[in-house]
Amino acid sequence: MALPNQGTVDYPSFKLVIVGDGGTGKTTFVKRHLTGEFEKKYEPTIGVEVHPLDFTTNCGKIRFYCWDTAGQEKFGGLRDGYYIHGQCAIIMFDVTSRLTYKNVPTWHRDLCRVCENIPIVLCGNKVDVKNRQVKAKQVTFHRKKNLQYYEISAKSNYNFEKPFLYLARKLAGDPNLHFVEAVALKPPEVPIDLAMQQQHEAELAAAAAQPLPDDDDDLIE
Amino acid sequence: MADKEPAVVDRREDEEAEAEGASAAAGGEEEDTGAQVAPIVRLEEVAVTTGEEDEDVLLDMKAKLYRFDKDGNQWKERGTGTVKLLKHKENGKVRLVMRQAKTLKICANHLVISSTKMQEHAGSDKSCVWHAVDFADGELKEEMFAIRFGSVENCKKFKDLVEEIAESQSKTEDKESEEDSSAAGLLEKLSVSENKSEEAATKEESADAAKETDSKPAATSSE
Repeated sequence: MALPNQGTVDYPSFKLVIVGDGGTGKTTFVKRHLTGEFEKKYEPTIGVEVHPLDFTTNCGKIRFYCWDTAGQEKFGGLRDGYYIHGQCAIIMFDVTSRLTYKNVPTWHRDLCRVCENIPIVLCGNKVDVKNRQVKAKQVTFHRKKNLQYYEISAKSNYNFEKPFLYLARKLAGDPNLHFVEAVALKPPEVPIDLAMQQQHEAELAAAAAQPLPDDDDDLIE
Repeated sequence: MADKEPAVVDRREDEEAEAEGASAAAGGEEEDTGAQVAPIVRLEEVAVTTGEEDEDVLLDMKAKLYRFDKDGNQWKERGTGTVKLLKHKENGKVRLVMRQAKTLKICANHLVISSTKMQEHAGSDKSCVWHAVDFADGELKEEMFAIRFGSVENCKKFKDLVEEIAESQSKTEDKESEEDSSAAGLLEKLSVSENKSEEAATKEESADAAKETDSKPAATSSE
C-alpha cells in the first residue's frame, strides 16, 4: 500500500485513490490536509504522488495513503496500475466546470474496472465560487451508482473532513466513528541560544513585513 | 462513550446528528447514498487522551495560523481552529497548542519561554508573529508563526498574555538557575539527572568552567 520508502505503521492503513479531471483540486485538497496550506498555483500532477494522511479517531489512529493521480490525460502515466489494491476512492469534479462533471462516469468506470466494491465518495469541489456551473440539484450520478456525495471547498474548508470521515466509517463498518483530539505530546525543552535569537528576530522582522495570504476572516468568527 | 469526549461538545453533537441522519437516510446533504460495502477492518473503541490532562487552560480562542516558508519568502496557512495556552499543574510550564477544527489535528505545539517575543504584523492589527521551536509533528522544528484572530481585542488579549507568561517564565528560569548553581556541587555528587533545565546547565557551564571536566556527562547530554 505504501511506497517502499514510506515504511509502514502499526495502526490500520488504507490505500485511497483520488481521481478526476485535471485542475479540479485533487492535489490542493490533499495538501490542505497535509500542511494546512491552500495552494492557488496550478501545477499539474505528473503520474501519481502518494501522501500518508493520519487521523485520530475514537477507535485509534488510522492512515490513508492518498494516491493523488494526474488528472490530465497527457500526464496520466500508468493509470490502472495506480488503482490496483485501492481500498477506497474519491472522485473529484469542479462545480465551476460542467465538463469535469460530465467526465465523472468515465473516471468511475475506469476505477471500478480495477477496484470492485470499494467505498467511493464523489466530491464537488470549489463550492465557495459564486458562479457555479453545476448546481447541487444537477448532481445525480452518485444516486445511480451508489456513491456518497459531498460538496466541498478546499479553499474555505467547507466539509473538508467529510470525505475522510465517511470512508473511515465505511472501512471500519462503524457509523459512529468520529475524529478526536490527536495527543498533544509534551514538547521537549530547548536551550536558548542568545546568538541565534538575534538572527531569529531579524528574520521575524522581515517575515512580519510580508502579507498574510488572504483577508477573509469568516473561518475565525 | 460521551463522557470520554472532552471539551468540544458542539462538534460532538454535530457528528451525532450526522450519524443519525446517515443511518436514517433522512434526506438532505448528509444522506448516505453509498453502496453497502463490507468493512475491511474491525476497530475497537479506545480511551481518548488529549495529552492536555495535566494542564489548566489559560486561554482558548478561535484563530488562523500561518507558518513562514523561507524558501518561498511567504506566509502559508497552517490551520484554522482553536489556539490554547496551557499551564502545567505541577511544573508551571506553559505551552501553546493549536488544533485544526473538525479533524482536531495539531498545528502548533511549543513551550512559551522567557525568550518568546510577540511582534506585530505589518499588514494587520488582528495578527502577530513569533519564533518558536515547534513540536507539532513530533519532531522539533524551527518555525516562524503568524496568527490572526477575529478581532483586534482577541489579538491583544493573546499577545498580552503570552508576554506576561514569557516574563514570569524568565523569573522562574532565573530562580532555577540560581538554585542549580548553588546546589551544583551537591548535584554533582548525586550524579546530575538529565531532566535538569538545559538552559540552566549551559549557564552553569560557562559560569563554572573549572568544574567542566568533572561534570562532563551532564555537559555532553545538554549539547
